[in-house]
Amino acid sequence: MSYEDWFRQDRLPHIYCAGCGNGTIINCTLEAIEEMGWKKEETIFVSGIGCSSRAPGYIVTDSLHTTHGRALPFATGVKMARPGFHVIVFTGDGDLAAIGGNHFIHACRRNIDITVVCMNNQIYGMTGGQGSPTTPKGALSTTTPFGSVEPAFDLCELAIAAGANYVARWTSYHVKELTKAVKAGLENPGLSFIEARVQCPTNYGRRNKFKQVLDQVEHLRSHSMLRQKYLQHQERGDAVPDGTIVVGEFVKRNRPSMGVPR
Amino acid sequence: MKIEIDESRCKGCNLCTVGCPYKIFQAGKKPNRKGVLVPLLDRPERCTNCRLQHLYGRVLCGVCQMTCPDQAIRFRDEKSGEPVKVAIEY
Amino acid sequence: MTKIEFMQGNIACAEGALAAGCNFFGGYPITPSTEVAEHMAVKLPKKNGTFIQMEDEIASMASIIGASWTGARAMTATSGPGFSLMMENIGYAVMTETPCVIVNIQRGGPSTGQPTMAASGDMMQCRFGSHGDYSVIALCPSSVQEMYELTVKAFDLAERFRVPVFLMADEIIGHMRERIIIPDTVELTTRRPLVPGVLPFHPGDDLVPGFPEFGKGFGVHVTGLTHDERGYPCATNPKLHEQLVMRLYNKIENARKEIADYVVTNPDAEIVFVTYGSPARSVEQVLHDTGNKIIGHLRLKMVWPFPEHAIAEFPNATRFIIPELNLGQLAREFDRHTSIPVVQVPKLGGDLHLPADLKKLIGVDA
Repeated sequence: MSYEDWFRQDRLPHIYCAGCGNGTIINCTLEAIEEMGWKKEETIFVSGIGCSSRAPGYIVTDSLHTTHGRALPFATGVKMARPGFHVIVFTGDGDLAAIGGNHFIHACRRNIDITVVCMNNQIYGMTGGQGSPTTPKGALSTTTPFGSVEPAFDLCELAIAAGANYVARWTSYHVKELTKAVKAGLENPGLSFIEARVQCPTNYGRRNKFKQVLDQVEHLRSHSMLRQKYLQHQERGDAVPDGTIVVGEFVKRNRPSMGVPR
Repeated sequence: MKIEIDESRCKGCNLCTVGCPYKIFQAGKKPNRKGVLVPLLDRPERCTNCRLQHLYGRVLCGVCQMTCPDQAIRFRDEKSGEPVKVAIEY
Repeated sequence: MTKIEFMQGNIACAEGALAAGCNFFGGYPITPSTEVAEHMAVKLPKKNGTFIQMEDEIASMASIIGASWTGARAMTATSGPGFSLMMENIGYAVMTETPCVIVNIQRGGPSTGQPTMAASGDMMQCRFGSHGDYSVIALCPSSVQEMYELTVKAFDLAERFRVPVFLMADEIIGHMRERIIIPDTVELTTRRPLVPGVLPFHPGDDLVPGFPEFGKGFGVHVTGLTHDERGYPCATNPKLHEQLVMRLYNKIENARKEIADYVVTNPDAEIVFVTYGSPARSVEQVLHDTGNKIIGHLRLKMVWPFPEHAIAEFPNATRFIIPELNLGQLAREFDRHTSIPVVQVPKLGGDLHLPADLKKLIGVDA
């Protein structure tokens, strides 16, 4: 048994562009689920709209590919009706933080027992590279042709503030760490939020000085800073370089949660 | 065990060339039938996982497989053949 | 033993849902439908069901679709503004063939309008509100008794046709208290399960596919994209899209005659009132006052799919009078199907048509 058994082999290769990190995140999530030893019949994948949300279509289990931003309420319905099911939500930054922002904070507040894996590529990939709520300041996209002027969302901090039980962030470079984080999220009751920063070579990298996929992955690697180190920096009052991606486990707690099988 | 790249899935992104600690994956040079530059394997017998997975009973590294966004890298059981001599570089 | 009670329309709706085996309610408070949610919040946990108050109506609709795929009989209740928000996911429910019941206790619109006054302004929205072509089922109760009966029926139809079914009541019916006879048991239809080995979206003879419930190992991929019989997205195949949409449309339209539900009074009459919802009550009064002989009455309990064959039930009709709590949404649809003159009697503001006004209209002294 390996995570490869979870793929719908007849649907591969998938629609993602060459070098897109989404496939890596699917691998890591499925590997973590495989390690949990969950049954395929009892595992449900839910997603909204976007590149990331195509993921459940490549997985053999029952899955819901829903409307834009609404994956979390659909997942809430599934989980509340059948708490015995393991519900995993694949979502993207636009899906989760823009159109689904309200659903996201309320799912965190309810602390419903689902695992949310957010593939954050900082752009609307499927519609052709428009600025999203996580597009960093100054980054170019088709709707921010002179550089984004809006501040970006920090999804992890948002999830913590809204009350999620487990929050972690890794990148598509850190496959082993990401797998462990997803597994920790799956094990933890309550809402687990794992943000995975991924490269989008076609729509983000191309416009933002990452000519090759590997340049963007190298950027993800070199700009990642462990949360512990980041906190030390802050304590000492040291400046953290711009564009630092704080990675690691942000929070692991045991607030009361909903939808946990009794 | 041996590493295998599924040419029908590989999109030639070369992400595997970053992850491998042995640098087994080398950027491809010749486009295949689909026009994809599939990476080449440089002395794949050095792969730790290929050599020792059976002994330890678990995946030992597998970063290339996990990283491959197109699910094109696989570890396949080899037909029981002659033991391969592996030169370990220090 | 049947029970006789004095009950509010909204409560009767909730009781009907419980009798029909509803075990999931996702809702959001909105006047004048809130009593449905409140009653469900009290009753569902005792029946091992789930009540959840979502963050908005979009999420309410989403949650009942999610629940429905796990095999639950799911329902939500709302009013105009919330109904508008639900449209997105109603389209999703149509495309994915998810059985669910949506109760709309209509109020005056547009926008926030008149929260505590009655209207029937959402009749066209429930039929055409979501984008794309589709067909749905909408029921219109005109008494508290019917709130109960039609809610049960809504679940039956939803389960049978795998389609969202609307209970389009209005504030008058929702908030009215009336005598109601609650039957011992009600007949329940359950969705036909998918036969293992058959593709998940392969339709049966009635154009409805078997239901691949989550957790039964079917491994079904449910998507709002145009999908083939395997459930896989095929959004760029024109032929497949046409086939799919036509099937979704025809599975309801083909059953139009069979499922039609209306009440015919005095079929030989020349002047015929056509009503649905609360205006039926004014017309009943007119019929009563005029000796119940001269005037015909076609009362639609099911508005969509529109029962056009019901028009033929009145062979002598010379005039159809349609009092509605809107600017003639159904009168226009009715007009489309007949050459006999149709008189619209629109009414806005929340008051019901006075029987006296209707009598004046047909030349009978009040």
